[in-house]
Amino acid sequence: MKPLEKYNPAVLFIYFLLLASLVMFAANPVMTMIAFVAMNSAAVVYAGNGLGRAYIFYAVIFVLTSLANPVFSHNGVTVLLVVNDNPITLEAVLYGVMTGFTILSVLLLFRVFSTLMTSDRLLYIFGRAFPKLGLLLSMTLRFVPLFGRQRRKIENTQKTLGLYKNENAIDTIKGKLSILSAMTTWGLENGIVTADSMSARGYGIKRSRTSFSMYRFERSDAFMLCAVLLSCGFIFLGIAIDKLKTDFYPRIELSEVSAYALISYVLYALIAFFPFVAKLAEREAQKKLFKESCDNSVNRERIEKRDSV
Amino acid sequence: MEILRTENLNFIYPDGRQALSDISFSLEEGEMMCVCGPTGSGKSTLLRLLKRELSPRGEKSGDIFISGRKQEELSDFEAATRIGFVFQRPDMQIVTDKVWHELAFGLENIGIKQNEIRRRVCEIAGYFGMESWFDRSTDSLSGGQKQLLNLASVMVMQPDILILDEPVSQLDPITASDFIATLTKLCREFGISIIAAEQRLGELIPVSDRILAIKDGKTVAFGETRDCVRTLIKDEAFAVSMPASVKLYEKIMSASGKENPKETDNASHEEKTIKTDSATLKEEPINTDRATLAEEPVRTGITHSKEDHKGGDIPLSVGEGRRFLKEYLKSPESDPRILSEVSGSEDTRTLHEDDKENAAEKQAVSRVEANKENAAEKQADRDKKDSRRKDIETVLEFKEVYLKYERNGRDILRACGFKVGKGEVFCILGGNGAGKSTAISAAAGLIKPYSGKIRVFGKNIGDYKGQELYNECVAMLPQDVQTVFITDEINGRHPYDLSGGEQQLAALDIVLASKPKLLLLDEPTKGLDAVLGEELKKKLKKLAADGVTIVIVSHDIEFSASIADRCAMLFNGEVVSVGEARDFFKGNYFYTTAYNRIMRGMQAEK
Repeated sequence: MKPLEKYNPAVLFIYFLLLASLVMFAANPVMTMIAFVAMNSAAVVYAGNGLGRAYIFYAVIFVLTSLANPVFSHNGVTVLLVVNDNPITLEAVLYGVMTGFTILSVLLLFRVFSTLMTSDRLLYIFGRAFPKLGLLLSMTLRFVPLFGRQRRKIENTQKTLGLYKNENAIDTIKGKLSILSAMTTWGLENGIVTADSMSARGYGIKRSRTSFSMYRFERSDAFMLCAVLLSCGFIFLGIAIDKLKTDFYPRIELSEVSAYALISYVLYALIAFFPFVAKLAEREAQKKLFKESCDNSVNRERIEKRDSV
Repeated sequence: MEILRTENLNFIYPDGRQALSDISFSLEEGEMMCVCGPTGSGKSTLLRLLKRELSPRGEKSGDIFISGRKQEELSDFEAATRIGFVFQRPDMQIVTDKVWHELAFGLENIGIKQNEIRRRVCEIAGYFGMESWFDRSTDSLSGGQKQLLNLASVMVMQPDILILDEPVSQLDPITASDFIATLTKLCREFGISIIAAEQRLGELIPVSDRILAIKDGKTVAFGETRDCVRTLIKDEAFAVSMPASVKLYEKIMSASGKENPKETDNASHEEKTIKTDSATLKEEPINTDRATLAEEPVRTGITHSKEDHKGGDIPLSVGEGRRFLKEYLKSPESDPRILSEVSGSEDTRTLHEDDKENAAEKQAVSRVEANKENAAEKQADRDKKDSRRKDIETVLEFKEVYLKYERNGRDILRACGFKVGKGEVFCILGGNGAGKSTAISAAAGLIKPYSGKIRVFGKNIGDYKGQELYNECVAMLPQDVQTVFITDEINGRHPYDLSGGEQQLAALDIVLASKPKLLLLDEPTKGLDAVLGEELKKKLKKLAADGVTIVIVSHDIEFSASIADRCAMLFNGEVVSVGEARDFFKGNYFYTTAYNRIMRGMQAEK
């Protein structure tokens, strides 16, 4: 079992795509809760940086969506209270809470997605399908930071040369405009060098261009892909034939507990918790290895000491 | 085996300018050839013509043969793979965002299969020692790493010929010499034929087999390195950019009043090597091996003759220079005074106010070194100077400056402190990442320290409001001079059409337009050839004589040594030593001029 980021980007992409659609479309409280817990755990181990601050934002979103539903939807048979002649129903509140959890799960999922799907992984996926687009994307990713840096450099230099003579808005705008024009010239002039460098290395010769990537498709990738496709297919089928259906209106009716539903829940939990478990397993393995090597070296030292004595 | 040959190559640009006339040369497989010449001599045009895809537009006549086949006969695939080209500016020739992708780019273009690309890319990364930054984005690399990546991503195409257009002119000296060492290794170990144009020849000449010197598009000399150097040192346009050991040799030879003993014997040889005449070329294709063979008796005669030994092979490297000097000092008719003359003539501060004093002191110094007696006198002299310095107004002062870019990052400057007096030329030297550029940006008020004080003309830098600091007060020439150009025209030409060195000087003029009293220069000699370097030196000396204080941060030791009054060494964000330029460089072992490296300890022997 290897952590998520070690899989082939295409597998990763399919995994995220299927999981995200399951989280969004399976309107089932059990699955929502599984997804919520699983996505939290995944976010902690994969995208833990700044997660604390993000939770404040998530909490606001959660409260808003949970409140919005009962305010706007008055379906349901269990009336809790009446505000301005509008009934607030238990069903609508619960549905709102579930939507809140769903949205939070999706947000957390995207957080992990954006941390793992770095530019070169996306490039691998799209470069395969559209080689020209792939190269264009790669060059863009190269030149955006380059241009940004150059702009800052020009701005600094021009500042020392007295570009912004008076600190008023017109001078500032004039200054920014001349920097923009200088940037354009710089970009065009130096773009020629880039173009030369490309043609010097055979770009545009009449041979079909290949697209290279450092990622391989290994057996574990194939296994992972099959597992994800099969289990998601099974669950989607369950949703399609109403085996996992939950009705909220007019009253909450959970689907009857069937073998199909139970298997679906287990499969869902497996794929949703996989990233978290895989990461923990890797950490444990490393810890153990490290400890062993420490023990070994300590033992070796001890033996050496004994021998020398 | 001959791998590249040109015959009567002429080139005229569409505007009628004749860039090359009758260039004929040849290159053997596995040889390294250095193309030298002043700015605008047509080096770049020649190199570009050799690589078909980069041929400039214009009228070309004459032929280029690659392994005996005309350039036009090569297929696109051959043209792309067999000849590699590396450009001057490291940044702009990188195409993609990741190191591994950049390495694979050329192979993708020629349609190599995935597995083959993987093998080749990994192999080349291993060879060039790039594993540790293989996955990084190209944006995060240092200049030296970028240029190495450019070299590697050309080498991955497995070319036979490698053409480099001033590959190290944007690098600092240490990185540059590493880069040239890598080139030498490629040439010697893999038999790659290399053609490199360069302005700083000190590093390249000792390792190259042949030299092609051109001026105004015409061949000045072509042939085996030593023979060419012998000719070029007589030519003013080339002499300035020769390695220090060659200059020393020339000085000693001319100072001792003797004609170079090889000169006459060599005349016939030179005639053979300097071939501008195409007829001779065709009849007798240049073959160094054969040429040397033919000359063998004459040569051995010279080296074995004791009388002529000190005038033997012209020394190209520092090591050879030391050997030559030792031999010279041992020989009975050597004159120790020549040594001091030679060392004295190197730094000429003619325009300084204290020039006479300097000269007197210099003489004193050489006398002291010759008989080691006047140490006390020297010290007194020094003390006098020091006390005078104390009276001079302090223009720029750093007081325990701490600076960092990121809150949790490391300190770029730590307890950095120095003082610069009025009218002084102060050079800050240091390796890569020592914090030189940071220090000068802080002095220009572009970045602020989190602790410590920076005073400009006695006033805290933070107390200058708005543009006050840059109003006839402080000006800075940045490292990237292209950032200075904001107008499209300078003297009727677009700034980007100027050569690197000309851009540098044009930028300096723009910076000086604000009439600064404190001039800050960040690597002013980057991309400058020797001739323009002299021009820059003159300009700065005149400014200093007019009372402008100049602070320079530079890698360029030779330049700093020739212009600075005082030097400071920055290491790890800290000023570790400050001193009078002469003492500073004499005291240093590694961080010193090629001259000082050749002369080190020489006096003691006699």
